[in-house]
Amino acid sequence: MEKFLDFIVRAGSLDRRYIFLVIALVVILPLFFPIGLPIRPTNSSQDVYNAVEKLKAGDKALVSFEYGPSTKPEIQPMAVALMRHLMEKDVKIYITCLWPDGQFMAMEAIQQVAVRQYNKVYGEDYVLLGYRPGAEAVIKGLVSNFRKVFTVDARGNFLDDIPMMEGVNQVADFDYLFSASAGYPGTVEWVQYAADPVGITMSTGTTSIQVNEVMPYVQSGQIVGILGGMPGAAEYESLIGQPGIGTSGMDAQSVAHLVIVGFIIFGNISFFIERRRSKKY
Amino acid sequence: MNGSEIFGAWVAVFLTLGIFSYLYKDNPFYKIAEHVFVGVSAGYWMSMAFWTQVQPNLFGRLWPVPEGEIAGFFMRIWYGIYNIFGFVLPSVFPTGGIDKGHGTDPHFMYILPFALGIMMLLSVINKLSWLARLGIAYTVGMAAGLRAYAFLNSNVLGQIKGSAVSFVDMPLFSLTGVSIFNNLVIIVGTVTGLLYFYFSKEHAGNFGKVTRVGIYFLMISFGASFGFAVMGRISLLIGRFTDLISYGGATYHYASIWVLLLMVVLLIVWTIKGDKKTAS
Repeated sequence: MEKFLDFIVRAGSLDRRYIFLVIALVVILPLFFPIGLPIRPTNSSQDVYNAVEKLKAGDKALVSFEYGPSTKPEIQPMAVALMRHLMEKDVKIYITCLWPDGQFMAMEAIQQVAVRQYNKVYGEDYVLLGYRPGAEAVIKGLVSNFRKVFTVDARGNFLDDIPMMEGVNQVADFDYLFSASAGYPGTVEWVQYAADPVGITMSTGTTSIQVNEVMPYVQSGQIVGILGGMPGAAEYESLIGQPGIGTSGMDAQSVAHLVIVGFIIFGNISFFIERRRSKKY
Repeated sequence: MNGSEIFGAWVAVFLTLGIFSYLYKDNPFYKIAEHVFVGVSAGYWMSMAFWTQVQPNLFGRLWPVPEGEIAGFFMRIWYGIYNIFGFVLPSVFPTGGIDKGHGTDPHFMYILPFALGIMMLLSVINKLSWLARLGIAYTVGMAAGLRAYAFLNSNVLGQIKGSAVSFVDMPLFSLTGVSIFNNLVIIVGTVTGLLYFYFSKEHAGNFGKVTRVGIYFLMISFGASFGFAVMGRISLLIGRFTDLISYGGATYHYASIWVLLLMVVLLIVWTIKGDKKTAS
C-alpha cells in the first residue's frame, strides 16, 4: 500500500510536459477516430433555436461578429449554423462587426453559407456592413441612426443603393439581434445599449469563458438563449440537423474533459497524501 | 488551390507550431511567432481603424465631394488644405473630395474630434504631451457618461428585476427549468453572496454562518468559470489541430508534417548547443 502511495506522490510531481503530451494525444485521436457521442441540446441553445424559428420569411436579423481568429474554433461554427438557420427561413441578414477581424470571419461565413450553400443574392438576402471602431459608441449610434454610422457597406456600396436597406434606419427596425461575441465589445454592450433600451429580441453565442459573465442576462430574460462555446455550436448544429465543425470537435472535447477531470482528481489525491505525510513527520 | 493559399497554410503551420513549441521551453521559434503576432495584430488593427473610420467617416465628413464648383473664400481655403493633403497622400485624399455618402457640405463639427485625435498623438512629443490630456479627458468623460446609464439600466435594474422571482404556478423541483427550488437557490445565493461583501460587521456568529454560505456560492461560481475556461481552451486546441490535420494533407504538400519535422530537428540541435554552452 505504501509503495502504491509513493507511486501516486511521485506521479503527482510529474513533469508538466508529459501532461501536455497526454492532452494533445486525447484531443488528436478522437479527431482521427470519431466515437460519435450523443449531443443533447441544453435549454439555452433550444431558446436560441426557438427565437429564430419564430421569425418569418422576409424578417430582418442583425448579426454582429465580434471575434477573431484566436476564438474562431469556438464561435465560427455557431455563427455558420445560425446563418444556415436564418437563410433556411429566408430571413434577411444584416452583418456588422465591432471587431476588425470580425469582418474576415463574417466574409468566410458568408462564402460558406450564403454563396456556396444557399446561393443567396448580396444586397437582397444579406449584406455585410463591415467594421466600425468605437465599441459601445457604434451600438449607440446604430440605435439612434443607422445611417450615421454606416453610409457605405464593406464593399463600398452606398446604403441607399442596397435594396434590402430600404426602411432600415435604426436597430428597432430589426426583428432579431444575434451577437457572436468573444469579449469586449460584444454581447454585454449589445444588451446594455441596444437590446434593453430598444426591447429587441436578442440571442448570443459566446466563448465558453464568457458564459458565466453573460448567463445572468440570460437568466433574467434580457437575452433569449445563449450558445456557449463549441458545445453550444454542436448543439445548434444538431437542432438544425446540419452537423458541422462543432459536432466533429465534440468527441475530442468530451474525452479531453474526462482526462482533465482525471488529472485534477489524481493531483488532489497526491496533494493530500503528501500533506498527510508532512504532518506525520 | 492557388500558390498563395498553400503558402498561407505553411505560414499558419509554422506559427501554430512555433507557439506550441513554448510548451517544451522558451525558444527562437516561439519568439518569432510571438513577435510576428504582436506586430501584425497592431498593424492590422491600425489599418482597419484608419480605412473604416478615420478616412471615410472623419475625412469623408470634413471634405466631402462638393456639389459643382467650390464657392466662397473660406471654402476655397478649406479645400486648398485638402489639396495639399491630397498632394502628399493621394490614396487617402483623392482628387475632388471623399465621397462616402456624407452629403456635399463639410461637417465642420468634426474638426473637434480631429483636433482631439491629433492632441492624443502629441503625447509622443515631451513639450506638447500635456495636450494629450484633453483628448483622454474627453474620451474618459464620454465613456463614463455613456456607460453610467447603461450599467444602471441593464446591470442594476435588469438584474434586480431578474432576481425578483416568482413562486406561483411552477413545479416544486426541476433540474434545469424554472421551479420553486431553483428560485429559492437564486434568492439564497444572491442574498448570502451580497452579505459576504458586507465588511462593516465582523463575519462571526450567525452572520458568519450566513456569509459562509455566500462563499460556497462564490466558490461554485469560480468552479464553473474554471470549467468553462478549460472547455474554451480545449476548443481552441481542437481548432488548431483540425487545421494542422487538414494542412498535413497532400493538397498543402504535407505542410504540417514537414514543418513539424524541421522544427523538432532544429529544436534538438538548439538544445544540444545550449547544453554545451552551459557546460563550458
